[in-house]
Amino acid sequence: MTKSGLFAGCMGLALAIGFATSAFAQKTTLNVGLASADVGVLDPHMNSATTGKSFLQQIFNGLVRLKPGEISPDQIESDLAESWTSSPDGKVWTFNLRKGVQCHHNFGEFTAADAVFSLKRAATRETSTFSSDYSAFDSVEAVDPYTVKITLKNPIPSLLGVVMNYHGGQMVCKAAVEQMGNEAFRRKPVGTGPFAFNEYVPQQYGKLVAHDQYFRGKPVIREINFRLIPSDAARDLAFQAGELDMLYARQDQASFNRLKQIPGVNALAMNPAEMSVLHFNMTMPPLDNIKVRQAVAYAIDRDGIHQFRGRDVSRQSVSVVPNGYLGALADAPLLPYNLQKAKDLLAEAGHPNGITLKTIHTTLPGMMSFMEAVQAQLRRAGITLEITPVEHATFHQQIRQNLSQVVHFQAARFPVADVYLSQFFHSRAIVGTPTGVTNFSHCKVADAEIDAARSEPDKAKQITLWHEAQRKIVNEVCAVPVNESLQLWAMKDTLDLGYPIKGALNLGPGVLETSRFTK
Amino acid sequence: MTAFLVRRLGFALITLFAVLTIIFLIVRILPGDPAQVILGDQADAATVAALRTRLGLDQPLLVQYATFLAGAVRGDWGASLVTGRPVVQEVLSVLPWTVELTVYALLIGAVTGIPLGVWAAVNRNRATDYIVRMVSLLGLSFPAFVSGILLLIGFAIQLRWFPVISGQRGTWNAWLQSLALPAINLGLIMAAYITRVTRSAMLEVLSEDYVRTARAKGVPWPAVVWRHALRNALIPIITIVGLYLGVLIGNSVLTEIVFNRPGLGKLIVGALNQRDYTMLQGMMVIYTLLVVLINLATDIVYGIADPRVKLQ
Repeated sequence: MTKSGLFAGCMGLALAIGFATSAFAQKTTLNVGLASADVGVLDPHMNSATTGKSFLQQIFNGLVRLKPGEISPDQIESDLAESWTSSPDGKVWTFNLRKGVQCHHNFGEFTAADAVFSLKRAATRETSTFSSDYSAFDSVEAVDPYTVKITLKNPIPSLLGVVMNYHGGQMVCKAAVEQMGNEAFRRKPVGTGPFAFNEYVPQQYGKLVAHDQYFRGKPVIREINFRLIPSDAARDLAFQAGELDMLYARQDQASFNRLKQIPGVNALAMNPAEMSVLHFNMTMPPLDNIKVRQAVAYAIDRDGIHQFRGRDVSRQSVSVVPNGYLGALADAPLLPYNLQKAKDLLAEAGHPNGITLKTIHTTLPGMMSFMEAVQAQLRRAGITLEITPVEHATFHQQIRQNLSQVVHFQAARFPVADVYLSQFFHSRAIVGTPTGVTNFSHCKVADAEIDAARSEPDKAKQITLWHEAQRKIVNEVCAVPVNESLQLWAMKDTLDLGYPIKGALNLGPGVLETSRFTK
Repeated sequence: MTAFLVRRLGFALITLFAVLTIIFLIVRILPGDPAQVILGDQADAATVAALRTRLGLDQPLLVQYATFLAGAVRGDWGASLVTGRPVVQEVLSVLPWTVELTVYALLIGAVTGIPLGVWAAVNRNRATDYIVRMVSLLGLSFPAFVSGILLLIGFAIQLRWFPVISGQRGTWNAWLQSLALPAINLGLIMAAYITRVTRSAMLEVLSEDYVRTARAKGVPWPAVVWRHALRNALIPIITIVGLYLGVLIGNSVLTEIVFNRPGLGKLIVGALNQRDYTMLQGMMVIYTLLVVLINLATDIVYGIADPRVKLQ
C-alpha cells in the first residue's frame, strides 16, 4: 500500500468513526412539559406553585436534602452541609458546610454567611411565603465560614425539614440577592444546584443550563427546557410527537392506562399524594350536631370513590393525616360505609326526612368530579349536597370566610403529621382569625396533643401524641378523609434519572447531575 | 381626513378612559384575593394581610384609583402583582405573537372566504352553493379547540409536517412551520364568516340593475363579477372583517392554549385566574387601543373601497 493510500484509508476510517459517533451521540437536552402557562415568581422562598417548585428545584440546594426519589423524612442525607449535630434538647443545631461550593454565574463560594442570609430571608414575612415555618428560630449565626449554628426557642418536629431543598430551606446566594435586589433576583435566581437559570419566557419556556462547577460533578444533561403547556391534550400530543421527554400527565386513570401502553414510555404514579378531605363547619347547623356529621361520614363509600378515581392513581385515606407521613395513624377509627346507620343517625338527630348541606366548590375538573361522586353517594342516605361552583380564586377566598358548610380541600404537605394537623385541625388555624390557615371545621379537640408533640424531644412519645390527636379528630368527625390522588408523570424510557423514583416532594422528578439519556 | 382622524382619536381617548375605569372597578368587585393567590394555601391570614398592605390593596378604592390613574398618565403600568415583572414588558412580549397570528388568520380567511363566497353566489342554489354553505356552517359551528386538536393529530402527529409546540422562532422556516397550524385553525373559522357574508352581499349586488346592464353591454361575466359586483359588495365584508378582528384578538385564547403559543388571550385568562389587577389593567389598555385602531382602519378602508363614503 502506498503512503497516500494509507493516508486516505486512515482518513476514511476517522471520518467513519466520526459519523458513527455523531450518529449515536448521546442526547443532552431534556424537554419537560409542565402544566401551566407560567411558573410564577422565580424565587424559591416565594413560590408555592406546583410548576414553580418543579422548575426551581434544580437551581437550589438545601443544607440537607431528601434522598432523590424519596419523600419520607427519615431519608434525609447531606447536601450543602456535610454533617450536622444537635444538642440533646433539640434546640441547638450545628451544620458543617462543604468547602468549595460555587454559586451560579460567578457569585463566588457558598459559605456560612450565605446560609445565614438565606435562612433569615426565608424567615422574613416580606420576603418569604414560608416565614411561619421559622417562627421557632431564635437565632441563626455563622460560627466560622463553614459552620452554621441555629438556635431554637423550642424544639420543632423536623428542623431538618425546614433547612432541606424544599420551600424556605432552599439556599440562595447572598451576593446575588444583595447585588441584584430582591425584584431582579426574582427574575434571575441564583443558587448552587446542578443547573443554573438561563432564560425564562412567560407562556413559553424556562431554560436551565448545566452548572459545570457543581460540587457533585459536571451534569451529563447540558440543558433543560421546561415547556409551559397548560392544555393536557397539547402536552400529551407534544409528548407523542417526541417534542417532550418527560411530562406532567393528565391526572386520571384513563390517561395513566394509555401512557403505560405506549412503547418506550414509563408512566409514574408517585407520592406525595394530594388528600381529598371533607371538612364540616361545626359552627353551622346541622353540622354542629355530631350525629349529623357521623351520618355524613357513614354515607361516604371510600372504596367506591377509590374505584371511581382509579385504583392505580389513587388510594383510600386511612386517617386525617395522609398515608406515609411521619406520625400518620394507619388504623384511625374512621367510620365505615353504612347507609342504614347514616339514616338512623339522621333520624336520631331529628332529620328523619334527610338534610340539605351547601358547599362552595372550585370548578377545577378533577376536584369537581370527586365532589359530584360524593354528592351521588350522599343522596342515597337522604342527604342533599347543593354544590355552588365558583372559579378557583373565588373558592379560596370564600371558604376562608366561613361561607361553606362543607369544604372539600385537596392538598399535600411536608410529610410530617404536625404540618397537616397544625394547618387543618389546630384552633390557631381556624379560618377567619388572624392566625387562620385552613382549619375550615373549627376543630379544636386535639390542640393539647398537637402542641405537646411539637416540642416533644422523645420521638416515640411524639408519634404517640400525633396518633392520639388523630383519634380525637376522627372521633369528633371534624372532617372525613376520603381519597388520596397520586402525581402522574410520564417519561421516555431512554431517560435515566439516576435514581429509583418513588416520589418527589417538589412535585416533579428532580434532574440530577447524573441524570442522562441512554440513547 | 385630518379632522376625521383627530375626532376619532379624541373618541378613542374617552373610550380608553371609560374602559380603564370599568376594568379597575370590575376586577376589584370580583371575589378572589390576589394576595392569597400569590402566597398559596399554606400562608396564615396575617401573612396574607401583610402582602395586601405591601401591594396597596388595603387602601381605599378611591386612593387606589387615583394612584392607578396617576401612573397611567405617566405611562407607568406598574408590575404584575403575581410575578413582579413589569406589565408593559409582559404585554409587549406577547403582542407580536397575537398580531402575527391575527394577521395570518385574516389573510387565510380573506383569501379563502371571498372567492368561496363569490363562487357560491354565482352558482346560487346549485350543488356548489350547497356544498360551500354546508362547509362554512361546519366552520362556524366547530369549536376552535376541537379543530385545533384535530389539526395537530393529523398534521403534527400523523404526517409530522408541523411541530406540536408552535412557539418556535429562529429560522424563517421554523417560524412559518410554527405559525401555520394555529393560523389555519383561526383562519378557517374566519373564512367561514367571510364566505357567508360575501355570498349574501354578492347575491344582493348581482340582482342590481347595473349588473344586468353591464352584462347586456357585453362585459365578460368574470369582469362583471370580480370588478363590478364584488367591489360593490365589499362594505359588509369589510365590516365583518373589522368586527371579527377585534373579537379574534381576545378570543384566540383557545388556539393559543392548544398550540402552546404565547398571546394576549392567554395572558388575559392567566391574569384573571390569578386576580392580577395590574396586569389586567395594562392588557385592557392595549386591547382597547387595538380595537380602536382596527375600527379606525375599517373606516378608512370603507372610504377606499367605496368613494361614496366620506370620512367626515
